[in-house]
Amino acid sequence: MMPNTTLESRQEQTSLYQEIEQSVKETGLEVSGVLFISCAGGPSYMETQVRGILESQPGLTYKVWGGEEPGSFFILLPGQTLDAVHFQGLLLKQRLQEIIADFDPRMTLASFPEQGELTQQVLIQMEDSVKHHASGEIHIFSREEVQASRSRILIVEGDATVREFLEIRLQMQGYETAVADNGLSALDLMESWKPDLVLTELNLYGIDGLPYIHHIQQLNVAEAPKIVVLTEQRVEQTISLCFQNGVDDYITKPFSPVELDARIRRCIH
Amino acid sequence: MTVNVVYFSIMAFSFRNIMTIFRRAAYSKFNTLSGSELVPSISLLVPAYNEEVTVIENVKCLMTLNYPTYEVIVINDGSSDDTLGVLRREFGLDPLPNPEMRNSIDCQTINAVYHNPQYPHLYVIDKPNGGKADSLNAGINLSHYPLISSIDADSLLEKDALIRMARMYMENPEETVAIGGDVRIANGCVIENGAVKEVSLPRKMWPMFQAVEYLKAFLGGRIGWSSINGLIIVSGAFGLFRKDYVIAVGGYRGGYPGEDMNIIIKLHRYMLENKLKYRIAFCPEAVCWTQAPDTYRILSNQRKRWGRGNLKNMIENYDMAFNPKYKVMGLLTMPYNIIFEALNPYFKITGLLALIGYTMLDMTHWRVLAVFWLINFLSGYLLSVGALLLEELAFKRFNKISDLARMMFYSAIKFFGYAQLGGLWRIQGHIQYLRNNNSWGTMTRQSWQEKSDTAKSA
Amino acid sequence: MDSHLTVAIYFVYICLGLIGAGMLLLFWLRIRSIRIDKKTELYLRKHQEYFKFIQTHLNGASDLPLPPGKLTKLERRVVQNKLIEWIGQFKGEIREKLMKLCHDAGFVRDDISLLDSLFYGRRVSAAYRLGGMRAAEAVPRMLIMLEKQSYSPLTIVIARSIAKSAERGDQLKEMLHHLLRHGKPIHNMAADILMETGLDTSGLLLKLLDDENPDFVKVALVAMWGQAVPEVVPALDRLVGAGEKDVRAEAVKLYLSSNPVLKDETIRELMADTDWEVRAAVAKSIGNLHAAGSIPLLRTALQDSNWRVRNNSAESLAKLGETGFEVLCQIAKHGSGVERETALNHVEKAMLEEAEHQKLDQMIAHNKKKLLYERYFGVSESKPVRQVAAVGGDYTA
Repeated sequence: MMPNTTLESRQEQTSLYQEIEQSVKETGLEVSGVLFISCAGGPSYMETQVRGILESQPGLTYKVWGGEEPGSFFILLPGQTLDAVHFQGLLLKQRLQEIIADFDPRMTLASFPEQGELTQQVLIQMEDSVKHHASGEIHIFSREEVQASRSRILIVEGDATVREFLEIRLQMQGYETAVADNGLSALDLMESWKPDLVLTELNLYGIDGLPYIHHIQQLNVAEAPKIVVLTEQRVEQTISLCFQNGVDDYITKPFSPVELDARIRRCIH
Repeated sequence: MTVNVVYFSIMAFSFRNIMTIFRRAAYSKFNTLSGSELVPSISLLVPAYNEEVTVIENVKCLMTLNYPTYEVIVINDGSSDDTLGVLRREFGLDPLPNPEMRNSIDCQTINAVYHNPQYPHLYVIDKPNGGKADSLNAGINLSHYPLISSIDADSLLEKDALIRMARMYMENPEETVAIGGDVRIANGCVIENGAVKEVSLPRKMWPMFQAVEYLKAFLGGRIGWSSINGLIIVSGAFGLFRKDYVIAVGGYRGGYPGEDMNIIIKLHRYMLENKLKYRIAFCPEAVCWTQAPDTYRILSNQRKRWGRGNLKNMIENYDMAFNPKYKVMGLLTMPYNIIFEALNPYFKITGLLALIGYTMLDMTHWRVLAVFWLINFLSGYLLSVGALLLEELAFKRFNKISDLARMMFYSAIKFFGYAQLGGLWRIQGHIQYLRNNNSWGTMTRQSWQEKSDTAKSA
Repeated sequence: MDSHLTVAIYFVYICLGLIGAGMLLLFWLRIRSIRIDKKTELYLRKHQEYFKFIQTHLNGASDLPLPPGKLTKLERRVVQNKLIEWIGQFKGEIREKLMKLCHDAGFVRDDISLLDSLFYGRRVSAAYRLGGMRAAEAVPRMLIMLEKQSYSPLTIVIARSIAKSAERGDQLKEMLHHLLRHGKPIHNMAADILMETGLDTSGLLLKLLDDENPDFVKVALVAMWGQAVPEVVPALDRLVGAGEKDVRAEAVKLYLSSNPVLKDETIRELMADTDWEVRAAVAKSIGNLHAAGSIPLLRTALQDSNWRVRNNSAESLAKLGETGFEVLCQIAKHGSGVERETALNHVEKAMLEEAEHQKLDQMIAHNKKKLLYERYFGVSESKPVRQVAAVGGDYTA
């Protein structure tokens, strides 16, 4: 009996995915956002709540389907770009938490064609990804998750705000990242994690400046990582000493993130 | 009574300035300054005598400061242990063939200067033992930059400390001749990678007393003194000086404790005698953490040394006191230091004796004794509470309510025993001074030894 | 006696009262700050997802929104501070977008109204935040504030905010005017503040160089460090002859850093300057410019009263090929006093440095020098580590 039920539900599901695909085509809009929300463990009136929240926003069109697991839904938001879908996600989560304290809904969201073509495969992956992510943070679905080998970047930065930003940004570009907040743990990570590139501040706790650059080059690794310095230090002498000692690029703060992306890409390829 | 009037007015000056200090600390970001070519370069001078246990960690900490251009010059003052050896091994230092020493100030001939191009901003001078002042002079002779900063080898600078001081210097570069930093007690704090990660009060009794004492002296006293430009001491543990003026006054005086007070008095004298406009400032937001002595023996020796140095400086510069030519320095600071700092214990003793004698004669007046004692205690305690309030308004370094309560408690019981001990040590220091006037060289050596003991035990 | 005692007892009461008040105040302040810290942390956590959202979509086309829902006062401040932090770190389009968010969210408006607050502390903190948000519309108001402000560390806070937010060059100039009117020589600080602007500074600096106010000229000269562009050379040419010592020294240094072609005549004039900084800068650059014609000048400069001038001259001589090096050797052998010490020092240094050279042409140059060296000092197997050269009493920093 059991296998049969799953099979049935699979078939049911397949038809669900097809239905969603179909709806997207019907809207005829260039973009459409999809949000998958799982309220597992939440009360049964979740769906009405979700609908109510979406309803309360004037001018928002949406469509809701129940997902494979009870308490999970696909929400189609026609005409919404990724940032708008993301904001809807934030709003939904916040309102739900207002209604039920300590409630932790899981979300994955995407917008198409920004993140590729909407296929059955993608919808299944979205549904699965909610289970894989341990943290309750809103998850943005990305194609890169499928890719196997990615360049590794180690971010070394004492300032938590900049560190967080760089991490988010580089992950979005599809790099695998690790972070360190001081020179010593950075050197350890370079040896154990073997990044392809180190994006580093020069002014760090533990060890910093030129001695730090020297240490990177003397590490016990097959291939020393590329070094991109992102720092407040603007003294010319220091900059030229850095280049003499094998730093690949030097960017001063405040920096333009777009330029940073380009320089990192140039260094890696 | 007068003592209290002076104390309270100094405290009042501190209060007047505290909000400015808070705001300038809160509203200054250093991210532009700390990488700027426009900030003056600084030479850090670190005299080290028998510091093989702690010197590596300290030098590493000093090399990671948040500052655009600076150099660290460690001066090994003829250590009998392996201070030089550990430094050379850790940093791969080799002797420089032609060290460019300038003998701007007299100091002993040095043995060699060590350097490694991989650490371009680190120099180590090796010289025969000659005391802390002589080491500093040797450091000045090698230093390449216009500002110098003296730092004890057993203290930890906060990453921003130097740039904060430099910012203060840049606000008024021509008149500023020296800036002192705030010294705090590191006992009890969590230290990681050469930085204080978690601020907490010392657990032991002796450091705790000192923590309260330092807070009162630095926040309650020095902020006020600096606002009327009457600062008489910039802590030897962390101070910034203009090199040209230090050279002009002949550098540090060799051979006895109190060289930090001595250099400031000389600067005051020089500037006033040459009728130059100047200021000696105190920068409470630039913090240096130091290990306080945590046993009675070491603490009493440290205090005796201070008493000795203070008396010596006072005796040598007595002509400045009550001399209108020296303005605030002559009319206020020097008399204050002679009467209330150097001679304070004697006054207290005679006053007490007189009161006791008086009361013995007429037992009905026991209340007088009680009331006078109460005044003494309460006004002192009020000053401590004031200092805590200054700390709370501007710096907020201690987070826990329990810490606050502990500080209040220790500020109170300080008056039962610790304060009296302080007076006793001072008198002992004076006796030492009068007894062996000429044996400063060996005394310095001993004191350095003590300091490294402290660091080891901490 | 009794009246004295009464006074004393009153004093005791006053002390007790003050201590009590102080303690209450202390605990109240402590508890309040703990509460604020806790709440701030709570809000930071609450809005973590929002912050992530902003950082993810900084590059998008549409405007950024505030977090959904109603925000309390402290919550707004927490969000605002985060935005200000980002604005300080980024530049370009992304910064503009964050600035727009600050504006749309009403943060700018709120802080501008705080500039009229009765409390000085609130005015200053508002000005600080406005600078952080690069709020151009607040600049005129902040300029008035700066004008009224007497000189204190907070003058610099306000000036910095103006520099960050200014949208026109004349506002920057006005800011400089207010900042420098106190007569303090804070040109380095002023230059640092000036360079915080988001405007293109090259035109403004050129204008400042031509200003009649020497303070403005100094600020411009200091600010240009390391970026002497060809357009400024004519202005520098003029300033090299300036009467004011500081201006001249700075101008010469900057001028020489642009690697100009120097006439022998100019070099001679500059080497005879009364300011040692000028002489030192020129002596140094002669070596870099390979101006071999100036060897006699450098030779004389070895006797200069200033240590740095002597040192730079010797260094330059060592760089000027065989002829220069030979002069150095001659003096090291036959000279006397400070000039001999300096020369000797640098001969040794040059021999040591060049021994490490690997390339062929450098080897040849080195061997020639070595021949010269041996002619003067004989063949030395291993060089002794020289005792520290006493280079004469020197009282300059």
